[in-house]
Amino acid sequence: MNKLKKLLIISFSLIMAIIAAGCGKSESGKNNESNSQSGDKKSYDKVVYAYATFNNIPSSDVLETVQEEINKITREKINVEVELLPISIADYSSSVSLSLQGGEQIDLFESLGDYNTCVSSGMAYDITDLIDTCAAETKEVLGEDILAACVKDGRLYGIPTYKPYALTPMVIYKTEIADQLGIDMSQVKSAFDLTDVLRKVKEAYPDMIPLVPVQTGTSGLNLTVPDVDYLTDDYYSPKGVLMGDNMTVVDYYGTDEFAEICNLVRTWYNEGLILKDAATTTSTCTELMSSDNSFCYIASYSYPPEDTAASISAQVGNIPLGAVQIGEAYLDTTSINALTWMVSSNSKVPEAALKFLNLTFTDPDIINLLIYGIKDRDYVMDEEGYVSYPEGQDASSVPYTAQLSCGTLGNFFFMYPMTGTSKESLKWEEEQNKLAKKSPAMGFTFDSSEVKTEYTAVSNVIQQYLPGLLCGSVDPEVVIPEFRSKLSDAGLDTIIAAKQAQLDEWLKTK
Amino acid sequence: MKKVAGKKNRGLTKSGPLLLIALPGIIYIIINNYIPMFGVFLAFKDYNYVKGIFGSDWNGFDNFKYLFRHDALLIVRNTILYNLAFIIIGTIFSILVAILMCELGNRFRVKIFQSSLLLPNLLSWVVIGFIGFAFLNSDTGFINKTIIKFLGENEVAWYTNPKPWPIILLIVYLWKNVGYSSIIYMASIAGIDKSIFEAAKIDGANKIKQIRYITIPMLKPTVVILTLMAIGRIFYSDFGLFYQVPMNSGALYNVTQTIDTYVYHSLMELKDVGMSAAAALYQSIIGFILVVTANAVVRKVDKDNALF
Repeated sequence: MNKLKKLLIISFSLIMAIIAAGCGKSESGKNNESNSQSGDKKSYDKVVYAYATFNNIPSSDVLETVQEEINKITREKINVEVELLPISIADYSSSVSLSLQGGEQIDLFESLGDYNTCVSSGMAYDITDLIDTCAAETKEVLGEDILAACVKDGRLYGIPTYKPYALTPMVIYKTEIADQLGIDMSQVKSAFDLTDVLRKVKEAYPDMIPLVPVQTGTSGLNLTVPDVDYLTDDYYSPKGVLMGDNMTVVDYYGTDEFAEICNLVRTWYNEGLILKDAATTTSTCTELMSSDNSFCYIASYSYPPEDTAASISAQVGNIPLGAVQIGEAYLDTTSINALTWMVSSNSKVPEAALKFLNLTFTDPDIINLLIYGIKDRDYVMDEEGYVSYPEGQDASSVPYTAQLSCGTLGNFFFMYPMTGTSKESLKWEEEQNKLAKKSPAMGFTFDSSEVKTEYTAVSNVIQQYLPGLLCGSVDPEVVIPEFRSKLSDAGLDTIIAAKQAQLDEWLKTK
Repeated sequence: MKKVAGKKNRGLTKSGPLLLIALPGIIYIIINNYIPMFGVFLAFKDYNYVKGIFGSDWNGFDNFKYLFRHDALLIVRNTILYNLAFIIIGTIFSILVAILMCELGNRFRVKIFQSSLLLPNLLSWVVIGFIGFAFLNSDTGFINKTIIKFLGENEVAWYTNPKPWPIILLIVYLWKNVGYSSIIYMASIAGIDKSIFEAAKIDGANKIKQIRYITIPMLKPTVVILTLMAIGRIFYSDFGLFYQVPMNSGALYNVTQTIDTYVYHSLMELKDVGMSAAAALYQSIIGFILVVTANAVVRKVDKDNALF
């Protein structure tokens, strides 16, 4: 008995000791850090910059070298030290929101399509009063119009990434096949012109799937519907929308435009012109395009068609690709605030964080360090200022690169252009930003918190029906009416009414 | 007095080392299952990051509303019916496999069969989803390209046709789980006194009769315990099975949507902490009620076999 008791006591104390040691370790680790910081002659505010990377996550010692380079600039300019926290795009949203809930330090993060959720759940710091003192240059660069997209109830909650906002719908196709069959793709002006092209391809290559989906559950046709303001909804799950200049919120699924694209893709499906499993496949369009039996896909890009084709071609094993525009770009609030940089509400150093954010919009060195890493190790630059990976290396083998995150970090227009793109395109893109048609409700964001219950139910119904409709695997004649009645059961009308009310309110204050 | 203490001590001496072995598990459960329970009240709050866990506003039962919308009935029906089917058919198959396994006799053969039956259990649902996809996809799937072609029938768009899915899901579930759950039954069968079988043999009972009158009655306590535990989880569903295997195809939701996938789909966009907590609380409360009821029923019928 005594022996046993002793054993139990020992084992318990052992466990407690381990737990305590665990805690102690992290404690002492923290102390060291602060010591080393105060050990320096000056103390700097430490800012944690959490950004989403579409590339590989660099190893920690590599990351430190880049961080150090950035800190050399920030220490001098704004008296701040930065800790970089790259997070893989797949985990970004959940990982940031969990860290914030857990009280971990993240001072700057990006909204990733969730501007409203971030604001309404209180993750974002109100920077209205700070922007003039801490980020005046950024305000100048972006202009009031663009910043307006991040204003809610008169308060500013973030700064949108400065990049080409206007997404232009295009068809990306394989030039070899088009040439071979004598198809003149420049004649394709809209999605409806595509049918004949797809038929020709199918005739010549019966085993081929001419059109592949741009991503799971959409043929891309929804992107070609002109002049839709999604009023803060996800592009892939629209609820109430504005069409054109009419300020009445309408049910997207009741519009003729929606019925038309559904019928179009249904014809394609019946004739075998689109991937049969488009509604469920998890393969990306680049994967599908890399295979021999595909011809084209529909997507929206913010770069000029030639550039887009060139850069995608590099991702699909250098198959020559062409791109042709099949619609006009349209700007709504979401297209600007989808990628908003926010100071986290529990940041202890909001001023310092905003100052650093300001640098990512105004200091080319900082931006390029973040995107490309360190010169001559991670990239090389030619005389004309174009960059490429060092000899024999690519995006996956260089120690640090976040090249695919370009256009999500700070100011896109300050980035060094990659070899293969042209500086001309930058001009095209800046112009598109100015020329693109803008929604009459620009600056309006919808707060869904009062209709949360309906929102969840409606999202559910949409996920059930929309992919099938957008990929042609169900018959729109039968399914659209069923879909709409389910939507109204789920409370879509309530959402539309709430949207209309908020929109009217917004119009009054404008 | 001393005697009693001695008896107690002997009990502890016996179970002490066992308790010690269980200790890591117990600590794990305390940290992982009990401590987070304090977050239950989040289900009744309108969670706000600034105000934090304690500061957020109470909002009564608002978070639960979305779980009781008109289609909630369908989802609850799916969850419960699937789980019932899994419990009943799963148990029958596991026992069958366990008995067959024990009758194999030869250790080598048993090992081979057991390992191959166990293998699917080690695969993740994502992998199984893609194995299913290789069979079922419309353009290049095995079933469409070989079996259906051979029969001369029209190709089936599996991922948009809900009818066969209850069966497909059941088959996939059995394929993955039977090997694993049969192990428990095999252990119970191995624990049955061999002399009973010998006595039966001498009395002229054939194999079928032995199984019918000895093996199955002897397995009853194990079946009851496992079933009771399964009933406690009847309101939960295997997310991987219902999400990955049908490839999250919207057209199949009517037969594949269970509470877990419903919650996932609903909150994908909103990511609302309070509403997810509400779903979890709802599931555990129903599960708790069901276990207590089922146990009460068992206790009424057969006191020895009740869990508590």
